[in-house]
Amino acid sequence: MAAITTGAHAVAVHHEAHDDYAVQLRRNRLGLWLFFISEAFLFGGLLATRFYLWGNTRPELDQAIGLIVTSVLLLSSVSMRLAETAMEKGNRQLFSIFILLTAFFGLVFLGGVVIFEWGLVPALYKGHLTPWGDKYGAVVFAMTGMHALHVVSGIVFIFIIWNLARKGHFSPQRHWGVESCAIYWHYVDVVWIFFYPALYLIGNAVHLSH
Amino acid sequence: MAKQGYGFVILIGVLLAVLTVIEYYMALWHFGAALLLLVAALKAILVVYFFMHVSRLWKTEEEH
Repeated sequence: MAAITTGAHAVAVHHEAHDDYAVQLRRNRLGLWLFFISEAFLFGGLLATRFYLWGNTRPELDQAIGLIVTSVLLLSSVSMRLAETAMEKGNRQLFSIFILLTAFFGLVFLGGVVIFEWGLVPALYKGHLTPWGDKYGAVVFAMTGMHALHVVSGIVFIFIIWNLARKGHFSPQRHWGVESCAIYWHYVDVVWIFFYPALYLIGNAVHLSH
Repeated sequence: MAKQGYGFVILIGVLLAVLTVIEYYMALWHFGAALLLLVAALKAILVVYFFMHVSRLWKTEEEH
């Protein structure tokens, strides 16, 4: 009789823990999305600034570079989703491969921005925009700078999650850390989805000579 | 939403790539800002729905 009572108690405790986790998970997801909404005002403001100051013009940026860095960031989103899928299926080795690949793509994207958009390595590529030069440079640096800051924090987030996963912190049933990292990374990608046409595609190119 | 397999994720990735190429050529052919932003919105919807699992916000049973 005592054994049955103890067993029933254990089941009840298990269900309670499960319910607590489910409630906490819903709160975590809501909190993350509320954070994204607040971030949308920041990036929306930058987009509004671009359309207010540039109108139907844009600086003459290298179209090939724009397309390549955009493709790399989209690829990183795919590899991040594949990493999450691997975790859902309990394949830790594949998870590690895909999440590290995502960080690699993120670093390539950052390299593209720093070297080719900002021209910070003149030996490799001589940029023609400066943050203080004119409205084109100011907006390009503000938009890409704020976005790059999020990419950097995303890469740090990825390495933290990769390290925790390596230590066995996540399971196929419970991996909110992985899910939140993935959603954050995709959010950074969504921001760039709007920044890419705003910076590279919309309006007539204005040749700037400094 | 049922769990997505690797193939489905790749399919969404291909769709995103195709839309990006379409967007690029639309800009070359001087399509307006509204149409370019519409394609961007389509891409964003794909990412938000299939990659960011926005629908999980109003589900209760799933664990992660």
